[in-house]
Amino acid sequence: MARKRGRGVAACWYGIARTATVDRAGAWAEIDDGGTVKILTGVTEIGEGILTVLAQIAAHEIGVKPADVTLGDNDTARSPEAAHAGATRQTYMIGNCVAIAARQAREKLVEVIADHWDVAASTIETANGEIWAAGTNHRISMGEAVRICKAKGVVPLGSGSFGTDTTGLDPIDGAGRPWQAYVFGCQVAEVEVDTITGEVQVLGIWAAHDVGRAVNPRGVEGQIEGGIVQALGQGLMEDYKLDQGRTSTSGFAKYILPTALDVPHVTSIIIEDPDPIGPLGVKGIGEPAMIPTIPAVMNAIYDAVGVRITSLPATPEKVLDAIKEKEKSHTRRNIPAVAAE
Amino acid sequence: MPELRIEATINGRKVARPAKPHLRLLDFLRDDLELTGTKEGCGAGECGTCSVFVDGVLMKSCLVPVAKAQGTRIETVEALANSGELSILQKAFHKAGASQCGYCIPGMVMAATAAIRSNPFAGREEIKERLGGNICRCTGYQKIIDAVEMARDVQNGKLSASVFAEDEPEDGAFIGANVRRIDAPSKVAGALKYAGDMVMPHMLHVQVLRSPHAHARVVSIDVSEAEAMDGVEGVITSADVPGEDGFGVFVHDQPIMARGKVRYIGEAVAAVAAEDVLTAKRALAKIKVVYEPLPAVFDPDEAMQPGAPVLHDYAPDNITKHIPIRVGDVTKGFAASELIVEQTYSTQAIEHAYLEPEAGLGYVDADGVVTIISPSQNITHHREMLSKIIAQPISKVRFIMSPVGGGFGGKEDMIYQGMLALLAMKTRRPVRLVFTREESIISTAKRHPSRTTLKMGLSKDGRIRAFEMRMISDGGAYGMSTEGVMRKAAILAAGPYAIANVKIDTYGIYTNNTPSGAFRSFGALQAQFATESHLDICAEKLGLDPFEIRRINAMRDGATTHTKQKLKSVSILRALEAAEKASDWEKGAPVSRGETRSDHATQGIRPPCALGARFEAPAAAERSEVA
Repeated sequence: MARKRGRGVAACWYGIARTATVDRAGAWAEIDDGGTVKILTGVTEIGEGILTVLAQIAAHEIGVKPADVTLGDNDTARSPEAAHAGATRQTYMIGNCVAIAARQAREKLVEVIADHWDVAASTIETANGEIWAAGTNHRISMGEAVRICKAKGVVPLGSGSFGTDTTGLDPIDGAGRPWQAYVFGCQVAEVEVDTITGEVQVLGIWAAHDVGRAVNPRGVEGQIEGGIVQALGQGLMEDYKLDQGRTSTSGFAKYILPTALDVPHVTSIIIEDPDPIGPLGVKGIGEPAMIPTIPAVMNAIYDAVGVRITSLPATPEKVLDAIKEKEKSHTRRNIPAVAAE
Repeated sequence: MPELRIEATINGRKVARPAKPHLRLLDFLRDDLELTGTKEGCGAGECGTCSVFVDGVLMKSCLVPVAKAQGTRIETVEALANSGELSILQKAFHKAGASQCGYCIPGMVMAATAAIRSNPFAGREEIKERLGGNICRCTGYQKIIDAVEMARDVQNGKLSASVFAEDEPEDGAFIGANVRRIDAPSKVAGALKYAGDMVMPHMLHVQVLRSPHAHARVVSIDVSEAEAMDGVEGVITSADVPGEDGFGVFVHDQPIMARGKVRYIGEAVAAVAAEDVLTAKRALAKIKVVYEPLPAVFDPDEAMQPGAPVLHDYAPDNITKHIPIRVGDVTKGFAASELIVEQTYSTQAIEHAYLEPEAGLGYVDADGVVTIISPSQNITHHREMLSKIIAQPISKVRFIMSPVGGGFGGKEDMIYQGMLALLAMKTRRPVRLVFTREESIISTAKRHPSRTTLKMGLSKDGRIRAFEMRMISDGGAYGMSTEGVMRKAAILAAGPYAIANVKIDTYGIYTNNTPSGAFRSFGALQAQFATESHLDICAEKLGLDPFEIRRINAMRDGATTHTKQKLKSVSILRALEAAEKASDWEKGAPVSRGETRSDHATQGIRPPCALGARFEAPAAAERSEVA
């Protein structure tokens, strides 16, 4: 049969936020007129969904809807330091900052309203744009609560700073605390290898990843699916070629990328093992999602056709050569066995 | 050059205006009509970000000369939500989470619109085929395909339009809810402005002269002829840098433009700001650079040999960074092992290939603040570095992070923002630079290519007794993120496994290749590719199931890592169990048993792709059924 199926597995681990240095970030929050919320922080979207995540966190913590949250972001002269958009740190670092800032702003508002109603602050609850005192008839909109608060001369503001308890590495043996949050994952790949052309098609990936706490599960799936396909590109086709420092792959006609026709069906399994340190329990997913894919696929190719690809990418030519090499060595081994009979 | 007069119907409105004949339809739409929803991703018809309808036919506008637009009816992404309401397909993209960075999305939405216009009953495989000319680097396509199927079903009445509504938890617990992305409507409508879509009044256009040599001394640069050209407002070289000329994520070893010598092909040497891009390009040809080629080195192993060409004076051995990890005693560990397996692995350089090529604007504001708008992944660090480079206090430097059309680590390096600052300071006018795809590929960081030797010793029961890895990575001409990549590779190389004896060395090496830098998963991918492949090789020799060998060695709660850090909760066992269960894995040693195993999936996979067989007949059958 020309097409052979195989399955393989690989695991991974990863650290969240900057490595072997103290990471930190900040955010400001204001509960604004009309019961809206303004969040300020120094990053913007690079596609991972951070703005939605921050809006959800602020809405959840303050008791409004995400649509009521305005994000002022991305400007070193106008917003607190959020530092870089990378290192799988956004949800962890900025998310936790926004939670701290939002809780503080809410506390200010709650204090004033509790005093206004003459109830204990601990009885006050907020959700979906409403604020009420449990066990009483007091219930008003957040917009009304902000009006009352401001009429008493208080603007409900909060600020959040979040830093990590981490260290550099010892220069001799590498000892140190590079991260305070770790994530773990595992993927199974199912492939089909065409033994005539050497082409590998990845048909399915089952991806289980710990993210701490999923703020937006669909967004987490998006990160897992996208990471897997990037890894698949590196595993099977992408190759930035250089000869004497000059590339022959300077455009997309020569630098081959995965398209909709190349991608496997991905089944994501989200595991939530909350981070015990940060206020939200969140960790991250952006980078670790792509780590197990390549070895899982290479292990699956071995399962399918018995060749071990140790040099990426596993192009059809390389896989085919390996299959031929294996057949040759089989034949060679078989000759004396036959002769001995 | 005589101008053309283009008369066409664009998004339902008659347009009659002159156009320069060298323009592509893409330029005409974006620059002349300011319809920037149509994006440029590659300029070669390969990526589909510039897709539009010309007389109802999906076309890549980068391949259409503007003269061909004469008398046609053109629809761009802006036409789809013309009434102010998103189309069914755009709503489906919003609901399904089909957009991430969003840069490919206008083109993808156009291609998807074409797909369900062409066949309103297209099946999943046919949809994939019809989207095959559009590249997305973020999503992995799955949610895009889901969105098209959702839109198709709503359009055909199989699914209620209420499916597009927001999930709103009644208790206000929005953490954990599938809230639709708040940035999606602006992305599916093509309304969001990326840096390359932004214009400022009185703006100049920047082009960059790049090195044709991998390693050469810059003997002289003469910009006088370029400077004297009509329309040229400023030319800069390293001589225009007033402060400490160095940037980098870890080591500040890279000048804004080549200083004294060039170290890779594509390195910036000079830059021009002119009234238009064409004039700036012509001015580049007038800059005279005299180079004296130097011996170059392209292989990291050769670069480590004594006598190899040296790239940077501070690193005479060409070692950018070496990270060692030591636990226990590997010699004793190997002696106690019953199986020792050694294998080499290698990984290649790859390109981030974000669909948005680098772009940025620079200007000096009324208060004298040098301001840069760009899709930078680290505005805080860039501000600090630029303030030193232009010798201004932090308060006089401002970075604004524009929406990033894909980053993946590739936009952490400040490789062009310095030129924008210097040209804005020199010309006192706003300046804009937009990279071509080729420029982006040759001049920006790649994933570190690596060569790894891994030796593992195990006892018969599958326990890893010793782990020894040496990884050599090609860091290319500048440090960029190499130090951090080597660190992360080393820390994570041995995987989530409790191993008493570990020896890991990762080396990042300077060569005259395109620099390597940050790339999603940052060294951990290269190292764990080796380790996770190796575990299967060992499992086969020991007759162990691959999940079992990982479980035997997995760190438990309270484990101590290879950097001697004590962990609290460790979830690897949960991840192994979840993947094993979800994939319905059949236990057994990895002995190349593909043909005999009985757990090949019937669900959770896609059908293998057979070219030419994807425009399926069932769609036609369904159509007659509905009719």
